[in-house]
Amino acid sequence: MIEVQGLQKSFASRGAVIRAVDGVSFAARDGEITGLLGPNGAGKTTTLRMLYTLMQPDAGRVLVDGVDPAVQPGDVRRRLGVLPDARGLYKRLTARENVAYFGRLHGLGEAEIDSRTGRLVAALGMEDFVDRRTEGFSQGQRTKTAIARALVHDPRNVLLDEPTNGLDVMTTRSLRGFLKELRAEGRCVLFSSHVMQEVAALCDRIVVIAHGRVVADGTPEELRARTGRASLEDAFVQVIGSEEGLFS
Amino acid sequence: MSAWWVVLRKELLDAFRDRRMVVVALVVMPLAVPLILAGMSALGTQRQVEKLESTLELPVIGAGHAPNLVAWLGTQDVKVLEPPADADEAVRRQEYDVILRIDAGFAEDWRAGRPAGLELVYDSSRPLQSGTTVARLRALLSGYDQQVGTLRLIARGLHPAVAQPLQVGERDVATPGARFDLAQQMLPYLLLLLAFVGGMQLAIDATAGERERQSLEPLLATPASREAIIGGKILATAAFAMLSVLVTLLMYRAAFELLPADRIDTSLAVPAPAVARLLLVVLPVVLLGATVLTALAAFARSHREAQGYLPLLIFLPMLPTLYLMVAPVKTQAWMLAVPFLGQNQLILRILRSEPVTALEWAINLGAGLVLVGLVWWLAARLYHREQLAASG
Repeated sequence: MIEVQGLQKSFASRGAVIRAVDGVSFAARDGEITGLLGPNGAGKTTTLRMLYTLMQPDAGRVLVDGVDPAVQPGDVRRRLGVLPDARGLYKRLTARENVAYFGRLHGLGEAEIDSRTGRLVAALGMEDFVDRRTEGFSQGQRTKTAIARALVHDPRNVLLDEPTNGLDVMTTRSLRGFLKELRAEGRCVLFSSHVMQEVAALCDRIVVIAHGRVVADGTPEELRARTGRASLEDAFVQVIGSEEGLFS
Repeated sequence: MSAWWVVLRKELLDAFRDRRMVVVALVVMPLAVPLILAGMSALGTQRQVEKLESTLELPVIGAGHAPNLVAWLGTQDVKVLEPPADADEAVRRQEYDVILRIDAGFAEDWRAGRPAGLELVYDSSRPLQSGTTVARLRALLSGYDQQVGTLRLIARGLHPAVAQPLQVGERDVATPGARFDLAQQMLPYLLLLLAFVGGMQLAIDATAGERERQSLEPLLATPASREAIIGGKILATAAFAMLSVLVTLLMYRAAFELLPADRIDTSLAVPAPAVARLLLVVLPVVLLGATVLTALAAFARSHREAQGYLPLLIFLPMLPTLYLMVAPVKTQAWMLAVPFLGQNQLILRILRSEPVTALEWAINLGAGLVLVGLVWWLAARLYHREQLAASG
């Protein structure tokens, strides 16, 4: 369970102050997939970064399973599995070694790392390349390795920043299946995307962000009802106020 | 397992899989240092031996004015040559190390018992090339001078000791290892340089590289604290540099075992117990280098920018060596607290088999580790900046 209340974050850039996140509030519940939808530059990545304690909010508050990252950042990071926008791997280590490194950083024992890695390899279909060095991996292989690395400690809450970026259709499909499995296991899944179809295909709840603010929040049906539009696509265009950046 | 140890182990594993990094730090550098020093030493010894033992080829101007002197020089392994047209220019062009000019009035002065004039033409700005030859000729001429002077005194019925009011004896107190030459002055610098920047590739790869290949952000999203992450990286860098120094010292020792003893100056050898003490001396420098490099790499925006600082870092350990070459000074306690200068002094003393007191060790190691602590703190602060991972 992730709760976000009144989150704000500004950056100083060449003398000007940019309000990247300007009062974002929403909740992502366990056993649901929540989508953070918005055009590029809407503040999705900054919001996620404050959730996994990479950045400090200027104002507002975050609770992960009731724990405040401002007070117990280490505990919050333990409760989260994070696939950031930056998902570089160590190219001289094998995929398995990359995953094991993060398992150790999470304080897991070697036996636990082995069994978790085994389950993730099967679930993500990584058998062919798990023991190869990651140099020269395809985008899909890299993303799968990064996801396995993010989930090695069996977190209750999963944050994914644009998980399907750069993936082909087959990999995207298998990734969607994997996210649904996570939901079935009762986890709280929060992912960001600028691709409307992506969010529509997966999400139980949708939080639409534009210009650093939440402009809509609800189930797909609620969004359609609220805007009075028959299709989700028209509903999105209406709440965001433009068609900019919503279609891939 | 603590996060420090996890990071340290991973960075070392990663580094050892980078063949280029391993070859440079653990093969090329350790081979280069002994080769440079042994080469310098062998060359220097060989040149000195050659110049002292080979026939001295000496152009003499006005040889006809002093046939006896010239004949005597011939008995002293000197081969007298025809002089070149312009003696000064010939010496300047390094055609000859030294040329002897005999005054036109030599014979007349000699017969009258007045000091007869000789002149050595040489270039004092080339002591390395011609110094040995000039000194050898001086010694020969002074021997001839004394011999004839003594004979003259005896001929006049005086005891030769009348003209020698002093008798000066010499006692050399240098310890066995204490012969000082250029190669020996280079060793501390090369060791300190290797200790300081030996882990450079690893530090840059582990920090600036981690950011560039976008693996820093996921790393910072793990429960490992930033102190532990940077601590593990610094210690991995230090361990790598230390290994490089150790391999270099062992190679250096091996080089002295392998080279023929008459060709090199054996006073440059590093005795086995000194290896352990040298490692202890360079420890603060290794840690300082690892922290400075990591801090720089955290500060720099890219691999390239981080590498741009390298010339500056190579220059730093050179400063005390240059200072000591220009102004060789007596070791004072405060100097041991100055980074690089203190280590340089201690390395020289260890190589010269001079004792180092516990207090001196404490000053040197203490001051070094305090400095390491300061830079470490700075590096950790840099690592806490938000922009570190989020620049993208």
